Amino acid sequence: MNIYTYAIIDSKERLCDYIIGIEGAIVCNIAYRDIGVVVSKLGEQIQNITKDHVLKHEEVVEKLMGNFTVLPVRFLTQFSREEDVLLMMQEFYNDFRENLDRVRNKIEFGIKIIWAGETIRNRIIDAYKRDNANIAIADSSPAKNFVKEKFEKYKIDKEFAKEAEKCIALIVDFFSRFIAEKKLKKLKTDNLLLSASYLVEKERQEDFKEAFERARRTLSDLKFLLSGPWPPYNFIVLTKKTDMFNGKSINQNLASEDVV
Amino acid sequence: MTINRIVETDAPEDFIEEIEKVQSALPKRIDANPKNVEKGLAKLVLTLIELIRKLLEKQAMRRIDGGSLSDEEIERIGSTLMKLENKMQELKVIFGLKDEELNINLGPLGDLM
Amino acid sequence: MHSVIAESKDITLLEILDRVLDKGVVISGDIVISLAEVDLIYVGLKVLISSVETMERLRGAPFAGAMEEPT
Repeated sequence: MNIYTYAIIDSKERLCDYIIGIEGAIVCNIAYRDIGVVVSKLGEQIQNITKDHVLKHEEVVEKLMGNFTVLPVRFLTQFSREEDVLLMMQEFYNDFRENLDRVRNKIEFGIKIIWAGETIRNRIIDAYKRDNANIAIADSSPAKNFVKEKFEKYKIDKEFAKEAEKCIALIVDFFSRFIAEKKLKKLKTDNLLLSASYLVEKERQEDFKEAFERARRTLSDLKFLLSGPWPPYNFIVLTKKTDMFNGKSINQNLASEDVV
Repeated sequence: MTINRIVETDAPEDFIEEIEKVQSALPKRIDANPKNVEKGLAKLVLTLIELIRKLLEKQAMRRIDGGSLSDEEIERIGSTLMKLENKMQELKVIFGLKDEELNINLGPLGDLM
Repeated sequence: MHSVIAESKDITLLEILDRVLDKGVVISGDIVISLAEVDLIYVGLKVLISSVETMERLRGAPFAGAMEEPT
């Protein structure tokens, strides 16, 4: 038997709505103190993971978002016994409580921005080559040539990152007034300037979306993507170590005598 | 109350292209098969060495940028960095490891390098 | 190890995968019975750490010296 986990919610009550989840199994709430973990009991291991499983998982979590404060659990988190689930809840109760209080009435939005990274990089390379064309290295050696090449790449990367920072600063400026928290990933590729997650109060989501439209109109040579609302995937903070072996956390395991 | 989640963009193909670049650059995981523990161990050690090598290289570049090195010091640093890079190449070949494999995924913290 | 196939042009699926595969509440270890791909890294490292300790015990000596050239 598998207990498939979708989310932690801010309620110990039975679910009012009848929700069908993964592999057609019904979705229910297992209470632990004043919170709960929403699960489906599956007969056996899922044989072939498909995108339908992913979509169904997300659908269940989003249905819960309509009625509760939700901490989404990673896809494919399963336990073999209810005791293991309760052990997990016991171990992380304080973390879950803190997170639920922090994200209550807030939702996540994602923004991705593409800029003309390759063009900008080429411009920087051309400028560098122009500025350094007549610098001769006295007594050139393999080591000096090695350094010259590495240094050139270093300078170009540095300039590129600087340009990126300037552009990113312009973008985030549009949103700062409407958000509770943000997480920014810069330059995942040369062209993917920014991949940002924003935690926004539910009542401010229209302001946030308007800010997005303003940014998009103003910074018209950038390409924009907006997604959401999402459950707060990027804003979960767990202070306890998240490895649990034999029903104990990794610290408890290391403390005991019989570590292999 | 239903949540109406949207994904809105006027350039979906561009975003897919960039996201796929990142996805396909996902490093292979350290193999959990005990038979491959040795190769897994080599991967772990070489990843850490590669991290240190890259940090040393970056530090050297910063110092050169700051103009605080003499010609002779640059020569020596260049020579050392070159040897380090060549040595890493050799080790990668010996253990049959590619650049993309020398990375560790730290889960929620992202990739090491 | 599981993999989900994301068909090209499915930006919504990619955005979902970006979140559900390794974000949110991430619990791992052998108490979690079905491991998402990232979990293998933790279990893998534990296997490695045990193996190093086992090898140290068997050799009766710390492993550090093994990186030097054999004499």
